[in-house]
Amino acid sequence: MAEQPLPERQSPLEPDYHPGSHGNFEHGVDVILSETRPGSILQLGAWPGEEKRLIEVIRKVTGLALPDGAGGGASSGARAVFGFAPGKFTVVDEAEGLAATFAGVITPAIGTLTDLSHGRTAIRIAGPKAEWVMAKFFAIDFALPAFPLGAGRSTNHHDIFAQIQRSGADQFDIYVFRSFARSFWKALCHASEEVGYEVQ
Amino acid sequence: MLITCPYCGPRDVIEFTYQGDGNRERPQPASQDLDAWNAYVYDRLNPAGDHNEIWQHSGGCRAHLRVVRNTITHEILSTAFARGGHKAEGRS
Amino acid sequence: MSPRRTETGGRIDRLRTIRFTFDGAPYTGHIGDTLASALLANGVTLFGRSFKYHRPRGLLSAGVEEPNALVTVLSGEVREPNIPATMVEIYDGLVAVSQNRNPSLAWDIGAVNQLGGKILSAGFYYKTFMGPVFGPLKGTRFWMFCEHFIRRAAGLGKAGTAPDPARYERMNAFCDVLVVGSGPAGLMAAKAAADQGARVILAELEAHFGGSANWSGETIDGMLAADWAQRTVGQLEGNDNVRLLPRTTVWGYYDGNTLAALERVTDHKEVAAKGEPRQRYWAIRAGTVVLATGSFERPLVFPGNDRPGVMLAHAAERYAVEYGVLPGQRIALFTNNDSAYRSAVALKKAGAAVVAIIDVRGDVSTEMRRLASEAEAELLAGHAVVATEGGKALTGLKIQRFDAMSGALSGDERSIHADSLLMSGGWSPTIHLASQAGAKAEWDPARQAFLPPTPTQRWIGAGAFTGSFSTAEAIAEGRAAGLQAAGGAASSAPVPVVEAAPGDPDPAPVFEIKAKGKSFVDFQHDVTADDVRLAHREGFVSVEHLKRYTTLGMATDQGKNSNVPGLAIMAEALGKPIPEVGTTRFRPPYTAVSIGSLAAERFGDLKPERLTPMHDWHIANGARMYSAGLWYRPMIYGLPGETVEQAYVREARATRGSAGIVDVSTLGKIAVQGPDAAEFLDRVYTNTFSTLAVGKARYGLMLREDGLAFDDGTTWRLGEQEFLMTTTTANAGKVMQHLEYFLDVIWPELRVTVTSVTDEWAGAAIGGPNARAILASCVTGTAVDNATLPFMGIAHGQIAGVPVMICRLSFSGEMAFEVYSGAGYGTRVWEALIEAGKPFGLVTYGLEALGTMRIEKGHVTGAEIDGRTTARDLHLDWMLSKKKPFIGSAMMDREGLIAPDRLELVGLIALDNRPLSGGGHIVEQLDEANPHHSLGHITACCYSPALGKYIALALVKGGKARHGTRAFVSDPLRNRFGPIEIVSNHFYDPDGSRMHG
Repeated sequence: MAEQPLPERQSPLEPDYHPGSHGNFEHGVDVILSETRPGSILQLGAWPGEEKRLIEVIRKVTGLALPDGAGGGASSGARAVFGFAPGKFTVVDEAEGLAATFAGVITPAIGTLTDLSHGRTAIRIAGPKAEWVMAKFFAIDFALPAFPLGAGRSTNHHDIFAQIQRSGADQFDIYVFRSFARSFWKALCHASEEVGYEVQ
Repeated sequence: MLITCPYCGPRDVIEFTYQGDGNRERPQPASQDLDAWNAYVYDRLNPAGDHNEIWQHSGGCRAHLRVVRNTITHEILSTAFARGGHKAEGRS
Repeated sequence: MSPRRTETGGRIDRLRTIRFTFDGAPYTGHIGDTLASALLANGVTLFGRSFKYHRPRGLLSAGVEEPNALVTVLSGEVREPNIPATMVEIYDGLVAVSQNRNPSLAWDIGAVNQLGGKILSAGFYYKTFMGPVFGPLKGTRFWMFCEHFIRRAAGLGKAGTAPDPARYERMNAFCDVLVVGSGPAGLMAAKAAADQGARVILAELEAHFGGSANWSGETIDGMLAADWAQRTVGQLEGNDNVRLLPRTTVWGYYDGNTLAALERVTDHKEVAAKGEPRQRYWAIRAGTVVLATGSFERPLVFPGNDRPGVMLAHAAERYAVEYGVLPGQRIALFTNNDSAYRSAVALKKAGAAVVAIIDVRGDVSTEMRRLASEAEAELLAGHAVVATEGGKALTGLKIQRFDAMSGALSGDERSIHADSLLMSGGWSPTIHLASQAGAKAEWDPARQAFLPPTPTQRWIGAGAFTGSFSTAEAIAEGRAAGLQAAGGAASSAPVPVVEAAPGDPDPAPVFEIKAKGKSFVDFQHDVTADDVRLAHREGFVSVEHLKRYTTLGMATDQGKNSNVPGLAIMAEALGKPIPEVGTTRFRPPYTAVSIGSLAAERFGDLKPERLTPMHDWHIANGARMYSAGLWYRPMIYGLPGETVEQAYVREARATRGSAGIVDVSTLGKIAVQGPDAAEFLDRVYTNTFSTLAVGKARYGLMLREDGLAFDDGTTWRLGEQEFLMTTTTANAGKVMQHLEYFLDVIWPELRVTVTSVTDEWAGAAIGGPNARAILASCVTGTAVDNATLPFMGIAHGQIAGVPVMICRLSFSGEMAFEVYSGAGYGTRVWEALIEAGKPFGLVTYGLEALGTMRIEKGHVTGAEIDGRTTARDLHLDWMLSKKKPFIGSAMMDREGLIAPDRLELVGLIALDNRPLSGGGHIVEQLDEANPHHSLGHITACCYSPALGKYIALALVKGGKARHGTRAFVSDPLRNRFGPIEIVSNHFYDPDGSRMHG
């Protein structure tokens, strides 16, 4: 549609995004916070019975093979996918334009594609105290055996919905509604002060 | 209270919204039987014991669940997707 | 060294001195001291004044159950009242004050209440203040007169009014095994479970792990029990699967093995580290819980048992062994069981003179006689204490012969000189959490105690909690519980060997010595044995009634010391065995919990805010923000010196005169997609959407199942199987849930997905006679003329190089367009529109002007769709399709919903040209003194710049039939009365010519 590359998008965190070390960091920085700003965040839904076909489409387009089971997920450097609800998956790509790639291949017989590239904000928390800080917000078990690498979870912190993917042994990607993102970010920074944090 | 969502696993009740008595039968959309509609909209069972309820995992996967709950002990006897169909991928 | 501090012993560090103040006086203590132990070491005996009689009180205990020594800790302006001094760890600069005394602890005018003891007996308040009103000084009127004085005289600490600057936090934790209590049983359980590889949390309410091992003086595995405990804690610390939580009270046991705990993270620190919370509320979900919560020693009930210097036996032992503090120089013990003998030996070893052991039992075992002589104490078997002497400190006591079977006293009184009297009335297992978990405790006649019930949740008991009072049993049970909880079968590790003094765990069934004088059962609420009997005489037979009438066990200590003695006295009065009288069920919290910890991070500015993509632009451009639910929206963009009314009138007038722009990003937006999307919308909306052409929008109305109006908005057809539904800002979540419910539960066969896309789009509504010209000057890729973009048409183009979707629809009644772009481009598009609007005098407008223009047009919002109105009431019956059923169609024509006297939407004009007020009533006849016969009420009002009048929308009986008639507004609350004219709700441009252009 647009002939020229699109301009950069505004981050909802901007006035409260302060790169550098903060909080109780004199004793070391135990978590690193960042906004990953992926170009594409999509939600894909399969009709009951069509999940396998959708998973196959996802594999063809992204190269990511979803493991069996609820909340299963996978990620490569630039792309990530995980289940967040029955028959529903979130697919993320560093690059913009993933919706257009999927648009042709998710037929009405399989399911639907919803582009949320602007509507969700991706925040990453990494470091030895990532589980500790996450546990302050969400009533789910973040221990590795209970929340394996690549897996996704849907949960909430009071009014703030969150989809969470474990993208590393001590790293989580949190997808929140854009309108809540700044509030959540401020709360996340506040909760990280105790362990010392760095914003990248 | 914990409710085991067939998709998300056991979650705290604060993630769920009660969506009413699960015993209600909605009349056919075109039905003009006002008594049947009245029963559907207003009549609620209130047993002391096992009760069929609808809950939505509104703070999680957002699926509606059919839950059998003991209203005296709060014990959850079973949970299943209200919509069906996706059961195969439930967390064991 | 302080007068009562021993030269050696205890875990305090005598080389490190800590300075603090109590009631303004400076004191010193050592690292490891509690406020109680430090003050005791300084010779302080008086810690507080009692609740009702203002009697002087000292320390009763050394732990969490302390009923007497409650203090207020001050920190700047902030005060934290009612903390047991036994639970306050001292730090440099600690400021603590005593409570319930006026003007000072030593000289207290409230102490005259002691003289009126007969008057202030149980039920005093009910009898005096709840009676019928005869004369001026009786009944509730009298209460209202006296309340101020009584509230001042009776009570506990004063709550502060300064804001609490501390940080609180919530933490969610998961584990296989939660062990509550870290005595020998708890430590063994944690160790055994951890050795099996289980994820373990060990919570200890005190600062130091070890429980009774810290002061029992027993030997475990050949080392001092305290050292064994330290070693075991060290082993647990080294295990990654174990989380140790000291200073953490597990206070609630809920369904699903979810437990609540409070960790006091920095209360013991002079300064908290950056970001460290003061307290942390732990929500713990445990696979299995091991309850190793120990037991409480019970006081004996006898005259003067509350005098400062009378203390529980084990508490004195703790002070001596753990803190190196002697509660007195000449100590007497009074007991109904064997455990006090060990305390006597420990105190003797610590350097005190134990002058006598008074045992209610005539028959004392050889082992106990041996311990008595080891303590060099005179053993007075078959005796009881009948009185204590002294003022602010104990000077002596009186004893008499006592028959434990009959309870009879005989012979002459004998005086014993002592400055400390230690009592032991047996032990009660700490079964609170098990009781909270759902089952009823069982009375054990041998132990004379309530033992934990059969578990109804996944918990296992161990140690004194189960009534197994010896350390050897605690260790064996703890180990078994830990193994079982971790799912392990057996362990090859040897069971630690315990060397301990012998002792029979069963006390004599003696709770009270009936002699002349006040014998306290509940120390904190000043309930005496006579009060309990009085309650019985007055007909209170149920234990629940006894509790409420006397307030026994209802103070902040929740009857930890007093429940069983109170019950025993009641049972005796009733002539029934204790189990038939029953016990009350324990409820959370086990100990007091700060509100701050429950609010946790939901505090101050951490309440979530929803911000639109253009939020920062609004702030930078002078918007005054308004919170609408969680959203923040511009109310007005005021100019210097403008009032709110001046600002919105200017904004609305400029919009109607040229053009205005408003941020509508908060509107709920739901993507409705799938082969059955159109069919689904036909079912949820009252009107038809399957006939809507792609690229067009339609206004839709939803009803609830009961036929009342639910929500309205426009829905845009973006593709054959793709719709974008908009909802009101306030109802977005409710509508989403409504749609999901029908798709999941009622019509699972429909292939439709619904997704909240509210946050995906930034929305700007631009309206006014010049709106199209402004758009035309900045939009590329599409024309915006009538042919390309007719009313309710949708076009796609670009603004400032980014894609936009434009729909021509109007809320203001002007020629208007909603411009949607990706939220990340929201500000960019907004600024481009503002720039393009400059030549036309485009204004930004806020919610006030938006509301004004919608009132002028007579559009409804949540104020009118209020859950009581029907489509007909709102003149939206033209939207009710007769060709298809829809949600609410079957119920909407019920008799009551079509009655002629229903409230209907109308417009109002103030004939006195003064502002109207929302919520004001409409009446036919004005009666300011006695307002009556309301015809309805005002839902929204404003000054209308288009009409030059104060106008309103209202719901009024008769509605349309009253158009053109006069009535009155009657609003006594705001003193607004005056004449109005009832008109159509369509005040402005009723035929829509401006909007259609």
